[in-house]
Amino acid sequence: MSSVKGSRRLERRGVSLKLYGLLIFIYLYLPLMVVIIYSFSPTKTIVGMTGMTGKWYVELVHDKELLKAVLHSFEVGISAVILALIFGTAGAFFITKVRFPGKGVFRALVMLPFVLPGIIMGLTLLIFIKNLNISLSMLTILMGHVSFTTPLVMFQVSARLQRMGPNFQFAAQDLGATPFKTFWYVTLPMIRTALIGAALLAFTVSFDEIVISYFLTGTWTTLPVYLYGMLRFGLSPKVYAVSGLILIFSLSLILFMTKYIGRSAEEFKVKR
Amino acid sequence: MDDATAIELQSLTKRFDEVVAVDNFNVKIQKGEFFSLLGPSGCGKTTTLRVVAGLEGPSDGTVLLENQDVTGIPAYKRNVNTVFQDYALFPHMDVKKNIFFPLKMRKISANEAEPKIERVLRLVNMEGFEKRLPQQLSGGQRQRIALARSLVNEPAALLLDEPLGALDFKLRVAMQKVLKDIQRNVGITFVYVTHDQTEAMTMSDRIAVMKDGRVHQIASPDEIYNDPETAFVASFIGDMNFLSGTIESAGEKNAKAVVSGNTINTRKLKQGIRTGEETLLCIRVERVEVNPPDGKLDNIIACTLKRIVFRGTDYEATCQFDDSEIRAVVSATAWDHRLKEGDAIHIGFKTKDVIVFPKSEEKDVIKYSVEAV
Amino acid sequence: MELKKSRFDPPRSYIRGAPIILWLLFLVVIPLIFTFAMSFYSSEGLMIEKTFTLKNYRVFFTDPVYSRILFKSLRLALGVSLLSIAMAYPLAYMVSFKMVRGRNLLFMMCIIPLWVSYLVRIIAWRSILGNRGVINTILLAIGIIQEPLRIFLYNRFAIAVTLTYICIPFVFIPVYTSLEKIPRNILNAASDLGANEFSTFLNVVLPLSLPGLITGFIFSFIIALGDYIIPLQLGGTQGIMFGNLIWSQFGVAFNWPFGAALGFVLFIISVTILGLTAKFGSTEGGFLSE
Repeated sequence: MSSVKGSRRLERRGVSLKLYGLLIFIYLYLPLMVVIIYSFSPTKTIVGMTGMTGKWYVELVHDKELLKAVLHSFEVGISAVILALIFGTAGAFFITKVRFPGKGVFRALVMLPFVLPGIIMGLTLLIFIKNLNISLSMLTILMGHVSFTTPLVMFQVSARLQRMGPNFQFAAQDLGATPFKTFWYVTLPMIRTALIGAALLAFTVSFDEIVISYFLTGTWTTLPVYLYGMLRFGLSPKVYAVSGLILIFSLSLILFMTKYIGRSAEEFKVKR
Repeated sequence: MDDATAIELQSLTKRFDEVVAVDNFNVKIQKGEFFSLLGPSGCGKTTTLRVVAGLEGPSDGTVLLENQDVTGIPAYKRNVNTVFQDYALFPHMDVKKNIFFPLKMRKISANEAEPKIERVLRLVNMEGFEKRLPQQLSGGQRQRIALARSLVNEPAALLLDEPLGALDFKLRVAMQKVLKDIQRNVGITFVYVTHDQTEAMTMSDRIAVMKDGRVHQIASPDEIYNDPETAFVASFIGDMNFLSGTIESAGEKNAKAVVSGNTINTRKLKQGIRTGEETLLCIRVERVEVNPPDGKLDNIIACTLKRIVFRGTDYEATCQFDDSEIRAVVSATAWDHRLKEGDAIHIGFKTKDVIVFPKSEEKDVIKYSVEAV
Repeated sequence: MELKKSRFDPPRSYIRGAPIILWLLFLVVIPLIFTFAMSFYSSEGLMIEKTFTLKNYRVFFTDPVYSRILFKSLRLALGVSLLSIAMAYPLAYMVSFKMVRGRNLLFMMCIIPLWVSYLVRIIAWRSILGNRGVINTILLAIGIIQEPLRIFLYNRFAIAVTLTYICIPFVFIPVYTSLEKIPRNILNAASDLGANEFSTFLNVVLPLSLPGLITGFIFSFIIALGDYIIPLQLGGTQGIMFGNLIWSQFGVAFNWPFGAALGFVLFIISVTILGLTAKFGSTEGGFLSE
């Protein structure tokens, strides 16, 4: 039945699929390449790139506003991650250890800030803030960031807790550990990699966040908001330089994260 | 004050919503005893163990450890340790740290702990494994470390929840010996949960046979095998024939029942069974002889040899008379090889080998008694 | 193995949920309530009249301008999602079934664009599609055209291309996850029973990957529907989508109550569609698992 002609047809299908896949890959990566290439363009406009220069990157270092925005992004990112770790982990323990009705709805509610279009979260928080007469500042941006980073942490940690199973905690208690000591010596070390992975992921998302932040920003801006502002003056190589840096930074974070997660997932392969 | 009692359960009951997981469990487990909880899945044996460990609280009743009431005391304050079925060794700690953990919880310093850890590793034959991680150990090795970890604090009793369940057959048999030896050497009380009757029978001093939360019998393996108190116990342990018969007469030392027209002499009736009642008669398959010499046995039934199965060490013969069936198991060396399926034969058994149970207990009977349903 | 346990823990153990419940209250529930309330107010110049009125909703449902925008956005979201599927599904299929070595690497490479800055990707497309962008530059250089074409940017085409670009990873991940879950011996069984690759795909792979496909579609749809930055940056005058319609209420138009109403409508639409994922899609959001 599988004649030579038939199997050749199968082969061809595999090849054409791979070709299509390659095209899509180009589609995915070309824009990013373009940005990086343009960031080295010496002319203020893009037309007629005449060579490569790193001067735009150098200019960035002197841009005080930009540096402040970067600092702010780190501040918000780290603060949001810390808060997300606290709320998210507490939530993860709640949802895995306590049996209560309506868990499905509860999970869905917690997920909302992450899955809903950012504009909804942005405007609901904005209205909330205005009603309380709080002015837009780092605090308001932080609120926004905590809202979408917490679900990330909660779901990573609860997935890990589920996979762990309850027996380790039972064993610890059986061997004389109080609930707190059980958490500290047994549970926490075992979810450590999930926490770190979630934290890195949350930081990456927060660092890049523009949609919600744009709603909640006053004069205190984060990097994406600042970059967005730069767009008003048109595209310039400086914009590309900033973009290039963001690309490289995010990429390194991702690579670091996957290496770290990959390694420790293996370490803790528990016999089920 | 009963000094020899390690664990006592008084009217222990545990309910989950409407389901009664453990129903009125009363027992005194002696110091140094190897006590097993045996029964099919869902019979309440693991729940009982968890209540003794303090991982669950009872709905009713009391738990006493070394004559102290510990009912309200949580697990981490009780002086009993558990060996879990999946061992629950902490994967982020090496063997030494795992074993050190309970000592650390008792605030024993690392120096003081060293000799204790070494001693317990020697006990389970795992010296030299201190730096290994649980993931690097085989199933049997993990089992032994789990055991060591639970023993290092010298608890009043060790609770084991089907610890050999994850091991394959040969390893399991080997570990049974190891466990029994350790228990005898250390002299510690074991409460052992299993659904494997062979395991329970070979290792235990006493067994509590449970079904659906109720304790059917607490006795030595010998008594459980030869004097089962309920039809369930009779069917769960060993291989039993079950026949329906009506009581013809009842006497001081024995009774008579009629099965498919044959009169059978049985053991003395249990309380509550009356003449004329329909009952369940049980006979161990190995107590049924095929074509016994005349006069040897007091119960003889004529029947047809319906099926012969060769089982290696023995032969199982299924014999039919009217609408009843009896199986006889005869050792391979004693088997008459001239017998063929369809032959007319006689089977026989002693009076004392026929136990009578009320018909109402038939629903509890496990048909193929070896493994849990 | 265990008997049925009592179904719920006593309420006093709910205290452990205090942090997350407070979080939920202050960041999700209460803001939503306030928004819902505000959708019934009206705006007078720079002030907000706090009297109850259905004006906002009435205007939205009756004035054809607004419903047209909504439908335009829904159609666009649909188109973008279908395009994303057309690209992401074959890609996922290729990585899952056709790649043996380097599969993990390839998977990472499909995911990376997702995590590498939304804004940068928008900037990238603006530069590719613009008058002095990559496409025009190339076309000019080759000589196909004499003047830069304006057809690539500041219109619905630009929005669609960029949105699709954003959405592809969101479709890729759930589809890939569900494809990976298909046991390979099922494919062997199908071929053993006489199915060629296409039949196997149609009768076995596709149905089994449907939950992932639906999840991906829905994620993509929601993202495309609610996006406001892409229409704002790349849509030009043609580019009024529902997203930036809402945005302008909080910006230039300064009609917060109306914005709240529109936002609430979007919220209901989103939640309904997301509810469909729960029913028909795959259970775990792939990009949330480790």
